[in-house]
Amino acid sequence: MTRKNFWSGLGVSAVALLLLTWVIPTYGGGGFSFGLPPQLLATLGAWLMLACALALTLVSAIVLRRDGEPFIALPGLDHLWHQTWPFLYVLAFIVLIDRFPLTWVAPALIAGLLLILGERRWHVVALTAALPTAGLYGLTAHLMRIGVV
Amino acid sequence: MIGFDAILGSFAAAFHYESIAVILGGVLLGYIVGVIPGLNRAVAIAIAIPLTFYMSAYAAIAFLIGLSKGTAAGSAVSAILLNTPGEPSSAATCLDGYPMASSGKPRKALKVGLLASVIGDLLATLLLIAVAIPFASVALKFGPYELAAILVFALVFIAGMAGGSFLKGLAAGGMGIVLGTVGLDPETGAMRLTFGYAELMEGVPILPLVIGTLALAEMFVQLDEYRRNKGASVIKLGHQADDDLSYREFKTTLPTIFRSTGVGAFVGALPGLGPSVGAFMAYGLAKRGDKDPESFGKGNPKGIAAAESADNAVIPASYIPLFGLGIPGSVSAALLVGAFMIHGIQVGPLMLRDHPEMLFTLFSGMIVASLLMLAVGWYGLRIFAKVTSVPPHIVIPVVIFLCLAGIQVQGYGTFGLITVFVFALFGYFLKKFDYSFVTFLVAFIVTPMLEMNLRQSIILSGGEIGILLERPIALVFVIATLLMALHLGWSGWRHRARRRATTNHAD
Repeated sequence: MTRKNFWSGLGVSAVALLLLTWVIPTYGGGGFSFGLPPQLLATLGAWLMLACALALTLVSAIVLRRDGEPFIALPGLDHLWHQTWPFLYVLAFIVLIDRFPLTWVAPALIAGLLLILGERRWHVVALTAALPTAGLYGLTAHLMRIGVV
Repeated sequence: MIGFDAILGSFAAAFHYESIAVILGGVLLGYIVGVIPGLNRAVAIAIAIPLTFYMSAYAAIAFLIGLSKGTAAGSAVSAILLNTPGEPSSAATCLDGYPMASSGKPRKALKVGLLASVIGDLLATLLLIAVAIPFASVALKFGPYELAAILVFALVFIAGMAGGSFLKGLAAGGMGIVLGTVGLDPETGAMRLTFGYAELMEGVPILPLVIGTLALAEMFVQLDEYRRNKGASVIKLGHQADDDLSYREFKTTLPTIFRSTGVGAFVGALPGLGPSVGAFMAYGLAKRGDKDPESFGKGNPKGIAAAESADNAVIPASYIPLFGLGIPGSVSAALLVGAFMIHGIQVGPLMLRDHPEMLFTLFSGMIVASLLMLAVGWYGLRIFAKVTSVPPHIVIPVVIFLCLAGIQVQGYGTFGLITVFVFALFGYFLKKFDYSFVTFLVAFIVTPMLEMNLRQSIILSGGEIGILLERPIALVFVIATLLMALHLGWSGWRHRARRRATTNHAD
């Protein structure tokens, strides 16, 4: 956990620095105000992030050094892949949903993931993919009929 | 102020069959979600919010409250039969529930859990009704100085109490504040951190944020855990003669239930602590106070009663700061604020002034939900026991689909889908690196309110900080915030030093 704290603290500090030096000054808004300048609260939030994350990094670095533990311990490629593929899977389907209706893409999204996770009973795959899609189709048709969509 | 007739009218509205149907739907769905391991209250509320868009404000909130209560009661089923808590807060229930079920008394264990849940929930709901209204009446007299000071105090308190590192809690709060300022500045009309996207003009849309950080991120975590932990054995409900709860047995658990409800209600009323703290604290107290503490952990019904009554008492009690001060003290309360916002209602003391009928109808709806919990749990015992065997590899794809469908149905389009994905990455980071999610969400939700009160305070005082000396309540909260920050920092440092000393000693 100490190593995780060190690296996450470093990451949050970097984001906070980016916010303070570029994002908030450029995109934080401006103009005359009587009370609170538009950028003030966001700047305070970013300073809070920076101060806490830096303190966390510092404390973790001291503990790691004292315990003689390495600062870098790369995870195995297998582990990394297992953490990454679900994100890529969902992202790929978001791209597909952008091009095709969700009711077309949904059965493939559900069935594909079921197969990847080891489900081989065709009736389970078919029903799990079909039922939520049919529900969505019914809801969309109902919303269109009452004029919401 | 609302009259007695209007209060009676609110109760009549809550007991109307349409209202009961909505709450029953929420409780039933909540129960099912609670029973399925891996799905939790926050995930359930996040994916249910889109369903409530087409309901009236009362129906939507009553449905979500029913859902929230249902998950708390339902999570005990998987804790008892599967030794896997449906909610983290039911982990304490596993300690005695699973051994009792393993020893051939699963029905008895489930009934103790159910009755304790319902009593805890009902008593805490009554406490909420008794406390929140006087609380809100006092809070209505607060000005912007007091409210700004209370909001800052609540954020620091939640960051310190939400578990894990205080520094990480505060950093998460900082992230919430930055994201909470996105959108049009209410005074100057300047675009803040929108990067030219018109979709961000009214702020970061709450639905993609909530679905991404809570539901989709949780599914990514579940996928990671599924790889390591496939399959668990479920205890089936049988027909053993001694496997039923007698009134005499139940009576022995009642004092424990009342005590633990008190503990749960106290913990729930303090923002940020959450039901896990309440359940374990009540379990520990019940064990310490019992004549036979050795029997705890081996299937003692008092252990189940303590954990479940406290767990369920936390939920209604956590709405005390919400309805009293407008401060959400837990993730589910923060999600309710989001739902209120979607329906154009500002939750907090102003509700007592602007929508008193709504407030009282909600309170009566909560009582209806408690009673429905008992009926649903009692008669659905066998069905819910079967639901525990739904494997996670079927649940995960369906929930991922529901997350994307919720965004699409609301018309957020590709922007919404990308936003939900970005927030899923962000939520995954928060979970994996143990940054306090509740602090982030509460900071995000209360930032507009904090900003408004700070702005009014600065304008009214002309930037003069000495005005605080004339506002004793605000001054007390400012001092309390500073003392709390110092105390939490100091106790964190001492805790680390003690741990280091123990490690050195062991070496």
